[in-house]
Amino acid sequence: MNKIMIVEDDTKIAELLHSHIEKYGYEATVTKDFNHVLDLFRNIMPDLVLLDVNLPSFDGYYWCRQIRSISTCPILFISARAGEMDQVMALENGADDYITKPFYYDVVMAKIRSHLRRSYGAYAPKMEERIVEQEGLILYPERMELKLGEQITTLTKKEAVLLETLLKRFPRVVSRETLLEKLWDDQSYVDDNTLNVNITRVRKKLQELGIHDAIETVRGAGYRFNVTY
Amino acid sequence: MRLFLRDHIPLIFFTIAQLFLVLLIYWLDGYRHLSTALYSVFLGVCLLIGYLLYRYFSYRSFYMRLSAPPKNLDEFTEKTGFAPLATALDELLKTQYLLCQNQLKTWERKNSEHLTFMNQWVHQMKTPLSVIELITQDEDDPRFESIAEETDRMRKGLEMVLYVARLGVFEHDFRVERIQLHEVVHNVIHENKKLFIRNQVYPEISIDPALTVESDAKWLRFILNQLLSNAIKYSAGSRENVTVNAYPKNRAVILEVKDRGIGIPKADLSRVFRPFYTGENGRRFKESTGMGLYLIHEVCEKLNHKIELESEINKGTIARIIFPYSNH
Repeated sequence: MNKIMIVEDDTKIAELLHSHIEKYGYEATVTKDFNHVLDLFRNIMPDLVLLDVNLPSFDGYYWCRQIRSISTCPILFISARAGEMDQVMALENGADDYITKPFYYDVVMAKIRSHLRRSYGAYAPKMEERIVEQEGLILYPERMELKLGEQITTLTKKEAVLLETLLKRFPRVVSRETLLEKLWDDQSYVDDNTLNVNITRVRKKLQELGIHDAIETVRGAGYRFNVTY
Repeated sequence: MRLFLRDHIPLIFFTIAQLFLVLLIYWLDGYRHLSTALYSVFLGVCLLIGYLLYRYFSYRSFYMRLSAPPKNLDEFTEKTGFAPLATALDELLKTQYLLCQNQLKTWERKNSEHLTFMNQWVHQMKTPLSVIELITQDEDDPRFESIAEETDRMRKGLEMVLYVARLGVFEHDFRVERIQLHEVVHNVIHENKKLFIRNQVYPEISIDPALTVESDAKWLRFILNQLLSNAIKYSAGSRENVTVNAYPKNRAVILEVKDRGIGIPKADLSRVFRPFYTGENGRRFKESTGMGLYLIHEVCEKLNHKIELESEINKGTIARIIFPYSNH
């Protein structure tokens, strides 16, 4: 169980980050007292710190230097200022990375994960493999495998992303826009046709496991996963 | 010299008239020695010339200054000499200069306060925006989708304000470096992911990853962001692609953003770079501020890039950024 400390003076943002981080199986602590950040750090000894630059009384750079004097844990800055200079300041004051507001959960989580991995060794035991399951149909998004009973079929990256989204949203309809957004990875900009093609492929993969008509097209809305097995 | 002479013409006439008046009185009184009389006139004229010479040399700089308009503000505080008129002129100009400077400084201070306030305010607004965005990211209710769309717009608007403010202090706010075009374009397209998908417009890139230009990364991103959102806005729902490509041409590198949307009317094309100019499309599309292209134009000018627009109604628009001397 990795411990993460959140130092952010906007209570709402702190709270939202807190609940999201907890969802992913980390233990998060939100700082309430901005005059004694270091004492709190000593008390909980977190594995990673999310630190806002603009804090009441002392700024984030100060606390970053303070923390650095007693620990080498990853420190990620969160700031609304996106200037190169600010980022340089952050890194010079001992931070490991920099996230600018407005930020996305996926980005924050990805950075947290990668820094924990880098600092505490590859996929520590706490980092369990993600599993998405629906009525016995098991998807391993990281392995890109799909399992039903004893049968296993492999998926491509795009197929895995599509299926993961559909399974997670079950039994609701997922809009085409949402699916497209998920598919736009760093390499390709997926258009409508590619989405159709990939949906067809996912259906084929499901048929290999003997599942028919599980992905239903909802006119004008998107796609829905149904349990038909 | 000419001003000096013009200034002293009355004096010269007056002195000569005075000499002859004196002679006339003697003449009427019965004095008849012409040569002595002429000699006295000659002496009088010599004295006059002597006086004029003295006057000219002591007031030379004064007259020079009066006849040559100052080229810049600093010339107002220069000394012109020790003659009474010259020192008086110096005093006058100095006072005027100080008054002007005071007013200027006051305005400059007000302006920079205003800018600082705007900057702070924009950064403050980013926090509530972040909160809203975080809340909407976790939900999959269509209403939240629509809220997310609006916050996207707000964020773009805030960015715009920030960049307008930065434009004023451009000189302290840019760093030219070698930039890989492909990478920058890629990042900006990803920033606009939602916009593309919602408007059913898809990007195509054909840029050689090795192609670099000399520019400021932040401002280049800003330019691309504006061009892309225009391209998306004016070809929304067309299911057509927005193409971004770049190629070297002679010593320059040219970056093109091409959409296949509604195009810009011929009449508007020459005026789109003016501030607050919205034109035909601006009236049809509610979101036009008329500032986007103007800002791009300004930034390009400061960074020494060129921008061209080519457009045909219902065929689309091509925006070209030309980076001169970037191709090695």
